[in-house]
Amino acid sequence: MTNYSRRDFIKIITNSLLSASGLLGLGGLLRYLNFSTETPVKTEFDLGLASDYPLGSRTLFPDIPAVLIHDDKGFSALSLVCSHLGCIVQDNNNGFICPCHGSYFDINGDVQRGPARHDLRLLRVENIEDNRLILFIT
Amino acid sequence: METSRRSIALASGLLLIILLGVWWLDTHHLQPSPLTPTLTGKTEYCLTCHSDLPEISASHPIEAFGCVVCHGGEGLALDAELAHSTIRGGNNPSDLAVVEQSCGGSECHSGDSADSRDHIQRVMTSIQATYAGAITNIRYSFGAQTDLVAQQGIFAISDEHITTTTGVPILSAFDPLAETSTALHQFADNCLSCHISAQPSHDHDDFARLTGCASCHTPDINTYPDGQIHRLTTAIPYTQCNTCHNRGNYDLRSMTFVERTDQPLDRKSDYYQPISQFTKCEWTLDCVDCHTRNESMGDGDIHSNQHDIQYVQCKTCHGTVDELPQTHTIVSEDDLALRMSFLNPVMDLQIGDTIIVTEQGEPLWNTRVLSDGTYEMIGKATGQQFNFSPVKDSLCQQNPTEQTSNYCHECHAEER
Amino acid sequence: MRPNFFLHLHPPTIPAKQSRWRYTLGAGGTAVFLVLVLIVTGTMEMFYYTPTPEKAALSIQMISYHVPLGGLVRNLHYWSAQLLMVVMVVHLIRVVFTGAYTPPRRFNYLLGLVLFVVVVMLNFTGYVLRWDQGIQWALVVGTNLIKTIPIIGEPVYQILTGGTQAGEATLTRFYAWHIFGLALPMVILIGWHIFRVRRDGGIAVAPPTLREDNERITRYELARREVLAMLLISSALIVLATFSPAPIAPPITELNTNTNDYGAPWFFLWVQQLLNFGDPFLWGVLIPLIILGVLALIPYIFPQPADSELGRWFPKSNRVARIVLTGISVLILLFSVLALVFQ
Repeated sequence: MTNYSRRDFIKIITNSLLSASGLLGLGGLLRYLNFSTETPVKTEFDLGLASDYPLGSRTLFPDIPAVLIHDDKGFSALSLVCSHLGCIVQDNNNGFICPCHGSYFDINGDVQRGPARHDLRLLRVENIEDNRLILFIT
Repeated sequence: METSRRSIALASGLLLIILLGVWWLDTHHLQPSPLTPTLTGKTEYCLTCHSDLPEISASHPIEAFGCVVCHGGEGLALDAELAHSTIRGGNNPSDLAVVEQSCGGSECHSGDSADSRDHIQRVMTSIQATYAGAITNIRYSFGAQTDLVAQQGIFAISDEHITTTTGVPILSAFDPLAETSTALHQFADNCLSCHISAQPSHDHDDFARLTGCASCHTPDINTYPDGQIHRLTTAIPYTQCNTCHNRGNYDLRSMTFVERTDQPLDRKSDYYQPISQFTKCEWTLDCVDCHTRNESMGDGDIHSNQHDIQYVQCKTCHGTVDELPQTHTIVSEDDLALRMSFLNPVMDLQIGDTIIVTEQGEPLWNTRVLSDGTYEMIGKATGQQFNFSPVKDSLCQQNPTEQTSNYCHECHAEER
Repeated sequence: MRPNFFLHLHPPTIPAKQSRWRYTLGAGGTAVFLVLVLIVTGTMEMFYYTPTPEKAALSIQMISYHVPLGGLVRNLHYWSAQLLMVVMVVHLIRVVFTGAYTPPRRFNYLLGLVLFVVVVMLNFTGYVLRWDQGIQWALVVGTNLIKTIPIIGEPVYQILTGGTQAGEATLTRFYAWHIFGLALPMVILIGWHIFRVRRDGGIAVAPPTLREDNERITRYELARREVLAMLLISSALIVLATFSPAPIAPPITELNTNTNDYGAPWFFLWVQQLLNFGDPFLWGVLIPLIILGVLALIPYIFPQPADSELGRWFPKSNRVARIVLTGISVLILLFSVLALVFQ
């Protein structure tokens, strides 16, 4: 075992303490910066009475953004957020087209063409008491 | 003199300990409780300290309202002094000085009269707020005014939209210093404790009450053991009315108010005016079971006397020897009677039910006309059920032209 | 050993006697460190502060109560700023009382005074950025004092506040002043000030032939002393920040006029007291400027210490200058105390 002088020992201790202080400080800085001041984004939407959306209807909700589908499988919804980079796709009668880079999705939200590689996200719709529909985007 | 490395080691050790202390404090401070009320969308942290307060009423749920929209205050602050610095009205945001900011707004309680949502406008002009009746009478009695039309109230107020014949356009504030009669000075010193802006001198007994809207709608404040009074209700028991209407009697010769020294317990005998005789209704029902919203909160006009606004009589519910009481069948979901019943569901009122209405069309929503022609009433504060029959086709012998309450009392009042 | 950048900034050796704590009080160095803390904490606050009238005070509440360690950052910023004012005054007193302003150091002395004024303005603009009920009247009075200056008053007011009265534009401007109008020039001035210290021969000391003591310390020792000072000041700042939070008040809204806070910030309390005497331009602008003028003229009009006396406290020959500075300091202190007592 090599001999450490007292000076070296003190030097190591000092440097360790300083480094520890520095790491604590850095940790604090990162905690400080990692905070969101925004109010939480809405994840549930009350769409009203189920009877307002008859069988066979497709209703666009541009504020969510989503499209509510009532077919013989019941109620479902598609997110209108393009799976490529997040622009809002536009209704093209037979499907959806994204204005940003031209991705094209069919009427069921399946990706047909374009830089997008995933289908439009399927969203959960629940029918709660009083016949109200709630849409969940998480 | 050399700075030893030891000094630096010690100093950095000190700094490290202090930083660890900061870290410890940071992980141990009060966990803030956020609440984002749906009506405002602005996150508040009042629940961090006030989570044990009960919800104030079923129609003011905290998830919709939060706290700040009614109470004011700094919702983001976690330090009591800053958080409470902009609170309205202290512990009572319904005090008349701040009621418009706390309870007002067209969506809330200072909306359209057509919608019956104009509570604040009506209360501010009501006689319980202006105290115009007592002030006018005493000023007239001692020569400060020449008739009994109200000129002054507790505060100055004006009303541009007069709908009744007894409505007065403007009141100025009663100013004892501008009066010359000593009787009026004494009146000001001794008799101004029974209007809804007045702080009653009692705070720990049955006569304790708050000011503003809470003077009626937050009843029985002395029954809260820990002082956490957070309640609004329309189920107002008679004990709340007692806090002004059964506290004692005036002595006009000495111009003092002689307070009763007991707590009224026997409703039949413990009313302050010893000469009054009452029918069974009057010492069984709560005041709110008969006296209507317009009577207590006003009809929007400034009146000179209680008599101008109080109109409910025995015949309002019981009818006269010639006529049945007026009724109304509920057809609309938006019926005021349904809304009132929703606030205090002692009676399961439905569309299609027929209720009694007053001569002015105010719904007595806690009544119902039964299929056999009799009536039932459920006490608003007690839930007690009462069944009664109309006067018409009964054994009543009363002169058909003399059907006001004083005549009913001739036979039906019980001796005390 | 070849020195790194930081060590190279220090002279290879400096006179031992004049580098003692009890000679310089470490005031200049402490001031530089406090400025460093201010810049770091100030930059951190910029990540959350919103300089609009509706959001400014609320964003500060967000920082103080909700951002992790935000309260610490804000309080550190506050305490560094207030301590800096005191430390600068200590530094000024030290420089005058040791006669360290004789040529070639006269220009650097003036630079220091300019820095002093810039820092006071930084403190004031920072105070206003709170935009809460505590600063309301200080803002109105402080900016209206500018208007009292004849001829140039109105245009200068417009430049400072961005309008004809203190309002929304003022907040934006004070934010700009605080960060780029004042802090950035301050950094440049500090660099120049420190450069001049070295160029003028380092810490003021008698020339070698007249010196009693020739002992010196190395740059490594100097650096060690600075590190020790920084560690101790950091500890003190954090303790202060933790146990004595920065002041905060409810936001300014259009409705509120009833605030009980009518006072100037503590470093302007003496001006507030002076303003009781009469004409605002005379007592609120001219007299403070005259005081500044007198301070600036100390190296020029008063008898200066002899070369042999440099490097010591209380050199005999600049007694007048010391008396003048003492008098000014005592008066300012007195008026500040009076303002507190008669609040």
